[in-house]
Amino acid sequence: MYVKLALRNIFRNRSRSLITLLAIGSGAVALIMAGGFIEDTLTRAKEDYIHAFLGHVRVYPRGFLEEGLLHPFDHLIAQPEELIRELRHVPHVLYAAPRLSFAGLLSTGESTVSFFAEGIDPQVENAERSTAHLESGTYLQGKNDYQMLLGKGLAKAMGIRAGDAITVVTNTKRGAINAADMSVQGIFATSDKAYDDRTARLPLAIAQKLLRADDVQTIIVFLDETAHTAEVKSAMERLLRNKGYPYEVKAWYELEEADFVVKAMAFYQRIFFVLKMIIWAVVTLSITNTMNMSVLERIGEIGTLMALGTRRRGIATLFLLEGVFLGVLGGIFGGLAGCALAIIISRIGIPMPSPPGSTMVWIARIAVTPGALGAAFTMALATALIASVVPAHRASRLDIGDALRHNI
Amino acid sequence: MILTNGLIKTYHLGDTVVTALKRIDLSVTRGEFVAIAGPSGSGKSTLLNLLGCVEPPTAGSLQIDNQEITSLSSNALADLRAERLGFVFQTFNLLSVMNVFENVEYPLQLRKIAKAERTRRTLAAIADVGLTSFIHHRPAQLSGGQRQRVAIARALVGSPALILADEPTANLDHATALGILNLLKDLHRKTQVTMLLTTHDPKIMQMADRIVEIMDGEIIKDSACM
Repeated sequence: MYVKLALRNIFRNRSRSLITLLAIGSGAVALIMAGGFIEDTLTRAKEDYIHAFLGHVRVYPRGFLEEGLLHPFDHLIAQPEELIRELRHVPHVLYAAPRLSFAGLLSTGESTVSFFAEGIDPQVENAERSTAHLESGTYLQGKNDYQMLLGKGLAKAMGIRAGDAITVVTNTKRGAINAADMSVQGIFATSDKAYDDRTARLPLAIAQKLLRADDVQTIIVFLDETAHTAEVKSAMERLLRNKGYPYEVKAWYELEEADFVVKAMAFYQRIFFVLKMIIWAVVTLSITNTMNMSVLERIGEIGTLMALGTRRRGIATLFLLEGVFLGVLGGIFGGLAGCALAIIISRIGIPMPSPPGSTMVWIARIAVTPGALGAAFTMALATALIASVVPAHRASRLDIGDALRHNI
Repeated sequence: MILTNGLIKTYHLGDTVVTALKRIDLSVTRGEFVAIAGPSGSGKSTLLNLLGCVEPPTAGSLQIDNQEITSLSSNALADLRAERLGFVFQTFNLLSVMNVFENVEYPLQLRKIAKAERTRRTLAAIADVGLTSFIHHRPAQLSGGQRQRVAIARALVGSPALILADEPTANLDHATALGILNLLKDLHRKTQVTMLLTTHDPKIMQMADRIVEIMDGEIIKDSACM
């Protein structure tokens, strides 16, 4: 009974209901757009960091994370092939690859700079072509070729281009000096400028030769989807525990190198939360006004309903239901409009300048996720309901005699 | 049926206290057709509101079917209005978003009567007021007299013990008003429902079994006491 009455009441004053729906719908569109933009930006930043150098999950020897900075070769993974084979069998794992890092000097003959090197398995990591964006040259070719990829900033600082020759000097595992002549195969860029300014990549086998080491420091694991990270981490921890391996597993967001992106994500999510609260408040205030108008215009009718025997709670229910229906309609309208606008804007793209700490520019889009749609619909429903509470209460507390006199 | 004892109603208009009813003592027996007459502002509509349980008295006692009303809760009063009272208003007070059938059916829905029974009683009430061919019309599509007939059907559909009509012909032309009065009288004869009407229309007074005249919030004449 109240449902039918409420539905008809929201269509009785079409222009006012349309204004209310526009207010709710606009709020939903604003949430979808702002949420979608931030979601796209954060997802892109996160995925860039993960694919450039973090990986989704890393396996370290116990103690490496605590002491590895001072004693990088005291905690190593010996003969990692079997472990890698087992890690690859964990569901959602795309590939697992060994890495060995060291610090050294890079010399062109004219200039020498300190740098940080990462020994990678070119056959595994290049096959994925997702670990870094290549600015010039090609990816590392052979497992045993004396080739390097240089970060964009590092190459620029030394005036090096793809194809140039370079000398690497470092200490072996036992502390002796060792050097090798290499050729620069390509220049790469990631979303972390600081990383690009100091990092070079070379084949793992060459890194091991330079360090006189057969072991690796970490196994980096990439997954089919970032959303599976926590699940895979747990599965790997179980695997290592069951096999008795003295290693530990870290998800990308637990790594020190992820500090910037994790904090940036938290920072932007907080900004979006405040923005959401503002949108909620604006929508609530704007529809409270129209809901109040609806009560004022219908005082006589409310008096009639109560005189006929409708309980005060029934009157409140009626106005709350009207709010709910406006919220549902506004949410559907806003959701559809938001999706359409997001698709159009995403097709055009929003050119973005490079963010702090990065050299890469990109085209931002509006990511419409089920979560963003749910949040927009929830906002529409909740604000309409909240905005109806005071008018519904006012309507239900009216003096029946006074209300009936409004009919005359 | 109705018994009031020292019923007083005062209103506050800013700092001024206005006494609308001054110690009304009234007794109405079941099946009576009573006209409450008096000029505008005499307190007849206020008395009807009190008897219809839509406003509480400031003081005094009001009994309907030997039940003291003044101590009932808001919900109990709402249930009493839905189950035992019927209202006919001067301005018809139909729900504009509902058609004739739905307006008449509404009091039965409040009482949670089963759908089939509701439909039967609603159609019967609409037939009693001669509007069977208008059941799908909205109030805006009806004349003043037709709207008042719908309001009468709505008041009667729940078979109430008491119908309260506040100046039911005041907004109607002479011929239509006469039609409405005849309808009310016929329905009263047929159902023997107790009817209380406020009016300053001599025609209604002539039709009534009893005339209670009010002036300045006091009963100045009651034909039953003559």
